[in-house]
Amino acid sequence: MKGVFAFRCRGCGKVYFPKRMICLNCRGREFEEVELGKECRLLTYTELYATPLSIERRPLILGIVEFEDGTRLSGQIKAEKVEIGMKLRPVWDKTRIVGFQELYGFVFEPVA
Amino acid sequence: MRDVAIVGCGMTRFGRLEPSLLELMTISSLRALDDAGLDKVDAIYVANMGSITLNKQSLIASALADSLGMVPVHAETIQNGTASGGSAIKNAVLAIASGLYDTILVTGGEKMRVTTDRVLTDFISTMSHFEAEYIHGITLPALAAMFARLYMRKFGVKQEHLAMVAIKNHENALKNPYAHIQQKISLEGILLRPESRLNNPIISSPLRLYDCCPTSDGAASIILCSVEKAREFSDTPIMISGFGQATEVHAVHEREDPIVLKALKLASEQAFKMAKVSPNDIDVAELHDAFTILEIAESEDAGFFKKGEGHKALEEGRTQIGGDMPINPSGGLKARGHPVGATGVAQAIEIVWQLRGDAGKRQVEGAEIGFSCNFGGFGTNVLAFVYRRGD
Repeated sequence: MKGVFAFRCRGCGKVYFPKRMICLNCRGREFEEVELGKECRLLTYTELYATPLSIERRPLILGIVEFEDGTRLSGQIKAEKVEIGMKLRPVWDKTRIVGFQELYGFVFEPVA
Repeated sequence: MRDVAIVGCGMTRFGRLEPSLLELMTISSLRALDDAGLDKVDAIYVANMGSITLNKQSLIASALADSLGMVPVHAETIQNGTASGGSAIKNAVLAIASGLYDTILVTGGEKMRVTTDRVLTDFISTMSHFEAEYIHGITLPALAAMFARLYMRKFGVKQEHLAMVAIKNHENALKNPYAHIQQKISLEGILLRPESRLNNPIISSPLRLYDCCPTSDGAASIILCSVEKAREFSDTPIMISGFGQATEVHAVHEREDPIVLKALKLASEQAFKMAKVSPNDIDVAELHDAFTILEIAESEDAGFFKKGEGHKALEEGRTQIGGDMPINPSGGLKARGHPVGATGVAQAIEIVWQLRGDAGKRQVEGAEIGFSCNFGGFGTNVLAFVYRRGD
């Protein structure tokens, strides 16, 4: 599974990732796939030293990002130095292994 | 609807304990039954989160009914994450209020120290949103840390304020023989001296070890009955005069304002309204301080202080046992410990003891109305209760 996509409510235009079946805003049930914005801003972050199983790199930097349209996501920040407000872009990558399964999601790297 | 009272309390010490989960639950249940002078109840509600995952025991309520020699009593387990205890109490109140049951035993218990810290962190992380949070490696400490960073920036809260919560709750726990952590700590020792970096390492920046509650074993039990019957079992029945509950959008980043604990706010408002009291009327409160930052934020969103001013109240000593709004006289989750399924019940017990005047060296003088709130996940499912003396 690849691609920088999200799900937009056909009723009110609110964008979600991951997918929802009912829009929190207008209770609409129809969504279309759209491109997630190219750039986002870091709202808050943490350097996690007590990492979960399968993640041995410490610290694991985790953050909440916000796109221009207000869509927010949580995920790993692949950067040496982090600060609130820095510009990031989403890339699809492996996040962790749970059991025998490799899991994928958006991770965020600095915009050069 | 009938009014409901708590007429019996019992708990085990919290900590790293030898007995099995079922033994712990049996011990606390017997203590609560003895406290009420009862040997049978109409129903048993068990609050537990990890018996299947951690202890290879499902159907735990039935196991407890058997262990107590109470079959064929009605019994079930209530699993609502770290709010299981609060949920079990709420459902017991509803069942007694309906008139179908007269007496219920609520037992919350957890046996967590059977595995490694990393497995436990993962177990707790299952409360997060699987696709939006869990798969990225987000843990509960990480959620609390991201919350703390935003909150501290906005309201000028310093690392010292977080440490003050830990210091206060450790101090209170020294007066609580049931508390997991019996250790006096100081600002110098956990923050100011150079060696504090070793004693108090960063778990998830800006949160350090002493900002996080321990994982504990332990069980806590209460007996509830209708107010009309309460006098048969207790001279000082404590009424549950109000309760509330609310859920919040699961993934923290999707919440309207990520530093407002909205579910806690709504649940507290409902509880105060039902009890016909205001936050100003509360004499003592047990809050869900799984992380130090949460005690500060909850003290505001529950309505005790204005948003952004909880840390000032803390600084002024208002939340200490001798202050005008004592919070977590038991030591809270931070120091009494957090056997997750037991916590909501242990909070109720502390308030009952405080209102009965049985809290020993940590007694809040003249306490008549109390409050507790119990968090599931990161403020994802919250229960709040108002208690008052029934005499």
